[in-house]
Amino acid sequence: MMTTLAIKRKPEGLFNRVYSLFGVLKKLPDRLSEEELEGVVKVLPPDTANTFSSLLKPSIQEAGLAFLKLLLTWLEEAVQAKKDGKKVVLLPFNFPPEIVHAFDNLYPLTSEVLTTLGVAALEGQGERYWNYAMGLGLPDHLCSANTIELGSILTGVDFKPDVIISGASGACDVNAKIHEFVSLYMDVPQIILEKPTDDTKRGRAYFLKNYLRMIKELEAVAGEELKEENLYRVAATANRCTELYYDLWELKKHVPCPVPGVFSLLLAGTRFAMWGREEAIDVLESMIRVSRRNLEDEEYNARGEVARLIFTYLSYYFDFVRFYDWLEEKRINTFGDFLQVAFLKPIDLTSMETMLEGIVDSAWTAVMTRQMGSSSMSLKWIDDVVHVIKEWNINAAVYCGHHSCKQTWSVFTITRNEIMKRTGVPTLGLQGDSWIRNMTPITVIQQEIEQFINNVVAPQGRRRRVRA
Amino acid sequence: MNDWARLVKDVENEYVKQARESGQKIVGYACLATPREIFDAAGVFPYRLKALSNANTEMADAYMSRFNCGFCRSCLQLGLEGAYDFLDGLVETNGCDHLRGMFENWQYTRPRSFFHYLRVPHLTDPDSVQWFIEELELTREALAGFTGAEISEDSLAEAISRQERIAGKLREIYSSRWSDPVKIKGSEVMALMVLEGSVPPEVFEKIVDDVLKALSSRPGLPTRARLFMGGSATDEIALIDELESLGGLVVADSFCFGGRIFRETVPGDNVIERLAKTYLYNLRCPRMFEQYARRKDFIVDMIKRSKADGAVFFHNKFCDLHGIENVKLRIDLEQEGIPVLLLEKEYGAQADIGRLKTRLQAFLERIKR
Repeated sequence: MMTTLAIKRKPEGLFNRVYSLFGVLKKLPDRLSEEELEGVVKVLPPDTANTFSSLLKPSIQEAGLAFLKLLLTWLEEAVQAKKDGKKVVLLPFNFPPEIVHAFDNLYPLTSEVLTTLGVAALEGQGERYWNYAMGLGLPDHLCSANTIELGSILTGVDFKPDVIISGASGACDVNAKIHEFVSLYMDVPQIILEKPTDDTKRGRAYFLKNYLRMIKELEAVAGEELKEENLYRVAATANRCTELYYDLWELKKHVPCPVPGVFSLLLAGTRFAMWGREEAIDVLESMIRVSRRNLEDEEYNARGEVARLIFTYLSYYFDFVRFYDWLEEKRINTFGDFLQVAFLKPIDLTSMETMLEGIVDSAWTAVMTRQMGSSSMSLKWIDDVVHVIKEWNINAAVYCGHHSCKQTWSVFTITRNEIMKRTGVPTLGLQGDSWIRNMTPITVIQQEIEQFINNVVAPQGRRRRVRA
Repeated sequence: MNDWARLVKDVENEYVKQARESGQKIVGYACLATPREIFDAAGVFPYRLKALSNANTEMADAYMSRFNCGFCRSCLQLGLEGAYDFLDGLVETNGCDHLRGMFENWQYTRPRSFFHYLRVPHLTDPDSVQWFIEELELTREALAGFTGAEISEDSLAEAISRQERIAGKLREIYSSRWSDPVKIKGSEVMALMVLEGSVPPEVFEKIVDDVLKALSSRPGLPTRARLFMGGSATDEIALIDELESLGGLVVADSFCFGGRIFRETVPGDNVIERLAKTYLYNLRCPRMFEQYARRKDFIVDMIKRSKADGAVFFHNKFCDLHGIENVKLRIDLEQEGIPVLLLEKEYGAQADIGRLKTRLQAFLERIKR
């Protein structure tokens, strides 16, 4: 009798590889001791181990594990959706996923969340997919946030979406254009959600029309009408998420801040992938429990707090959470980046119409759409940064200088000047890719931040104390 | 043709000076989506911003960044230096992220008394067309408020008719290169296109008439190859001239200071609707979504009509719209048997010319010319 030797092929493509790695999580218990964690990370590749060990360190493990499990559910459900004949919809980060979660036959995946997972978990940090895109002749000033994931789709061996929603026209050319390229190259249909750069009532009315048209197109793709009970379920859950979001917002006002800086990443990932889902509530509640415990126990992550720092747009993600640990070791409490700063409002659940209005409003005020898609990129951005600085008593701002952000770069000087004028808070302008470590090494970024805090921010604080 | 070749090199040319002396308002704009007919009808001199290969961007770099398009930075630089102080106002368009940034910085640092934002949709569906119709009405109102004069339907119709007449004559010059022998270089045609936005329409029409007349008695130019060119916003006449010195003459293009200027008139219920539809449907810029196939077809059609031997697409460093679109064009055009060369360049950089010429020389050899 002949036996066949089955050779299990290694998964190819960013999504498939990340999904395969996340399988490890299923084997983990609900609570890991330090010793157990040490054992687990030893069997993982270095970049994965770095991420897992930072997210699962005892002080934040409860929230870290809840977040990783949320991501696992997200990936598993996408795979299952494909198997069940449902349509997987690829979204950009500035498109709130709630509406897609409200369809029975659709499932959302977010380009930038997938890229970040690839950078955080994969050996080589997903650079091979960026390189593939460059190999096609695409320019090197694209946005790594989406091009790493999209580069993987372009290889033709990875998980392929059934439809793409482009939600960045009007707010980010590079995002909108690379999604269009993938749509054309891979023959994936694309739905455009146009946001007019007009904050008036007229602009809102046009956006509403565009959004409703987009829903019709999604209904056609899904082969089902959007159901009121589904929308209610998602909107009610999103409302609970919003309540918890503002609980966390309030906790950040404490001095010193009891909310670990890395939670901003967890918040952004949750917002972009699973808002409106029960799993998002679990992550938010666990972050609040950890933060409240820190507050009660005076167990602050950045003891002595020399600076309260905000990244005014993006942060750096290629060193993932270890960068946040380093900031806290330096007694710099980071309030994260602007990806996780949302201006959410509760959705009125009275009727289908009111719920849709709420959903549309959350898309209108989504990050980047809200600032860069407004009548004036600089004015809205400045207003939002100033608001956050005042709310959280921030005393240091950093613009990470991701080379692809042409819109923010083009008005950075105005923004920096006005933030200083209105709040007295200095902004450090850096240069570096947020998702690719080769552009500017993390050590250089750390040196720049440290010098900025020591030479500019800390003396300013001392002067203030002397004047007081 | 010496007169207009000289005229194009000045930012503040003699007609601008005349307009200032006579008290006529001059308003600057940058994007092809801006219907200059409304300005004409308002008695305003519409001036299309140009940078004329200005490579010095020190002051602009302090506001924008090196990660922004060199053309926009160069225009801003000229604005900051005061070269555009003759402008009474600016009309911003959301042509691209860089352009938006340029206008915001300009208005932040050297504010003009008149500033209007013309918001151009990225789609051409009925709601977007309606939006653009309203935008043009708002522009008309804003200009009327600025000048204190009503912009009548008749004056608009007259301005449209004049522009169509000029475009018709310009098209004759443009397409004269499609048959042998070629009598006018691509750089000269680009100079005409740039000049179109720098002088009053009646002056430009006279120049076009003169060029047409002179063309008939011009000798044919030696032609090693017939080239199609396209890509990012550029008014680098000298660059095109340098590249043509290798013997490959530009016989058609899709530059926004070039072939994109031609529009097929689309009827409407009134002049503003006609203008809105004509401008939006003919906006062959990669900023427009769901329109790639039309843009590609337009380019292929131009290549075939002009009997071009190959196509060269440029993109200014950090121009994402063209940088990405050019790759798709290369793939699709090569599938149709059209040789393609992609070139990334820094706007206005003299140091880049040698490299670009070497690449083009190799391309000409590749296409056996």
